[in-house]
Amino acid sequence: MASTRLNVPGLDGRCAGASRAAATLALGGADLASLAGGSPVASEFPLPAVQDLDRFENNVQELVKPEHGTTTLGFIFRDGVIIAVDSRASQGSYVSSQTVKKVIEINPYLVGTMAGGAADCAFWQRNLGMQCRMFELKNKKRITVCAASKMLANTMYSYKGMGLSMGSMIGGWDPSGPAIYYVDSDGQRTKGTIFSVGSGSLYAYGVLDQGYKWDMDVDTAVELGQRAIYHAQFRDAVSGGTCSVYHITKDGWTKIRGNNHYDMHYQYYPGGHPTAANDVI
Amino acid sequence: MEYVMGIKGKGFAMVCTSATAVQQIITMKHDEDKILPLGTHTMVATSGEPGDRVQFSEFVAANARLYALRNKSKLSTKAIANFTRGELATALRKGPKSANLLVAGYDKGKGASLYFLDYLATLHSMNIAGYGYGSWFVLSMYDRMWHPDLTEAEALEMMRLGIEEVKNRLVVASPTYTVKIVDENGIRTIPL
Amino acid sequence: MARRYDSRTTIFSPEGRLYQVEYAMESISNSGSAIGILCKDGVVLATEKKVISKLLDTGAVGCKREKMYKIDDHVAVAVAGLTADANILINKARLNAQQYLFTYQESMPVEQLVRRLCDVKQGYTQFGGMRPFGVSFLYAGWDEEAGFQLYHSDPSGNYAGWKAHAIGANNQQAQNILNQDWKEDFSFRDAMKLALKVLGKTMDSTSLTSDKVEMSVVKRDEETGETLFSYVTEEELDPLTEEVNEEGKAAKSDD
Repeated sequence: MASTRLNVPGLDGRCAGASRAAATLALGGADLASLAGGSPVASEFPLPAVQDLDRFENNVQELVKPEHGTTTLGFIFRDGVIIAVDSRASQGSYVSSQTVKKVIEINPYLVGTMAGGAADCAFWQRNLGMQCRMFELKNKKRITVCAASKMLANTMYSYKGMGLSMGSMIGGWDPSGPAIYYVDSDGQRTKGTIFSVGSGSLYAYGVLDQGYKWDMDVDTAVELGQRAIYHAQFRDAVSGGTCSVYHITKDGWTKIRGNNHYDMHYQYYPGGHPTAANDVI
Repeated sequence: MEYVMGIKGKGFAMVCTSATAVQQIITMKHDEDKILPLGTHTMVATSGEPGDRVQFSEFVAANARLYALRNKSKLSTKAIANFTRGELATALRKGPKSANLLVAGYDKGKGASLYFLDYLATLHSMNIAGYGYGSWFVLSMYDRMWHPDLTEAEALEMMRLGIEEVKNRLVVASPTYTVKIVDENGIRTIPL
Repeated sequence: MARRYDSRTTIFSPEGRLYQVEYAMESISNSGSAIGILCKDGVVLATEKKVISKLLDTGAVGCKREKMYKIDDHVAVAVAGLTADANILINKARLNAQQYLFTYQESMPVEQLVRRLCDVKQGYTQFGGMRPFGVSFLYAGWDEEAGFQLYHSDPSGNYAGWKAHAIGANNQQAQNILNQDWKEDFSFRDAMKLALKVLGKTMDSTSLTSDKVEMSVVKRDEETGETLFSYVTEEELDPLTEEVNEEGKAAKSDD
């Protein structure tokens, strides 16, 4: 706990007494009574005996940022939109959760996917949900996918360069039909028919591009989404958990599947995966 | 890899951009339109960081529209180019915009024009101009081919040859491209 | 009762009038007149010179011309009203013209310049604690969009385009003469003569002499594509004033 709180702003070798006191408080190492009486002298407070306080345990901080590994995908086909995601959260090489919900249901016709920093995604997509609801109340109509994604992109652009990490797809159905937009923390926003985002996206693209047909029926499309996520989970160490598949039509989204990765594995390859079937040396 | 080329001919200007949207090593899209109209007879071909590229060119387009609404008359291509240069130059020392632009337009009585405007706010009126690794191959090729009486057909052939050269020589060439032309009739997309 | 409503510019009277603005206009009607005339290939501005003392050092900065100002290469204004007030607005106009040039590398369209100044003037009829500018302007200029133009703006911030217009003392009478005599195919010479005629009729003094007149023209040099603004010298004015005076006498004897 203590080590993670070290990055208090202003805490370095040269910091003033007050912020040093605040920092020490944060470390839990200061005596409150001594703070109350007169200005504190810098040397009275314990600080880690390291050369570069600013960067002390920065690498550890990087490692504990959750959810960098993810696989999410979305595509449009004849009968609507498919959104499929995994559910693993990781902190470096540590799998911190297998049951993360990476699809945020903004309204009955609009969903967003999360990849990148878990906190950034969750916070800003909920913020987007609020903005969309405000839009609905003000304009007495549902927001379009185009407008919703632009709002998120504008938010992202206004925080550009400030360390946010988010790669998202906003998918849904509006009066102009089905739509998916890719939005990320660089401020990029683009409309498309097939997207995949996250560390496992390359694996997902491979399966998706190979199996995608505009004319496929809903069952095939749902299966394609699930299969692409499954294979990404199989290859990508930091993607895993379960696979959720959403289908969006003019009547809104429905969650079609939520299968455990291992169940899928033994369903697809009851005898084990052929690429892993070589003899043990 | 991003590729932008522009040619000014007799009575028209033509621009070409790669049509891919890229995220790290992934091509996310093959039909990204990076040529934004700024009114009926001016357009801007863009490259640069995706966020800045879109936000900045939309900002310029909005200002051109606002001017037209306020003043009945439209800004000339030259005026837009100079305005945009000013904005980039101001931004350069505050929050620089990573956007490289080619402003192409046709103005009644003045003819066609092509402006090179990079993210450091360098503005040049050019006959041929380009950005990206691909442009190094193609600029020399166009230097060889360009002449003052260039026709639309010739320019389009140059665009085709340029794309061919890039696909042939550049390791990271984009698979798809967009070509647009502006002349006295306005802006048109030319199918390749 | 009126006192309750005319001490502030921001308050309407019960009849819906802004007295301070009206007073400002009134003050202009008492000042030396200014005339603008659009002709075939340019615009003529003429004003009445009030101070013609020999002792006035016209070589000093700001003393050579009383009421005529160049805003940019392609726009000039003639002023009726308080010159001190005018200086403030002229400064703003010059600044605006240069800012526009800086932003777009093109000359500012004349009407935009007029509107910018009118926005400033309007502000002083609405925000408290200030008195309106006691000046009317005649703007003469050329731009690519609309060619030669002549505008008039008053202290309320209203403006309009004219083919010929007069402001200042006796402007009603001047306007009548312009109405009668202005023709579509006027040459520079015709326009200058008409301006002198109008000035002669509206001035207090009996005889019109060139030292009582300031005149300038805006025209185009087709070869270089430049707009030129120049003052008409007394030497150039002398034969014209003489002609106008002769014609005036002839007309009188006809009566």
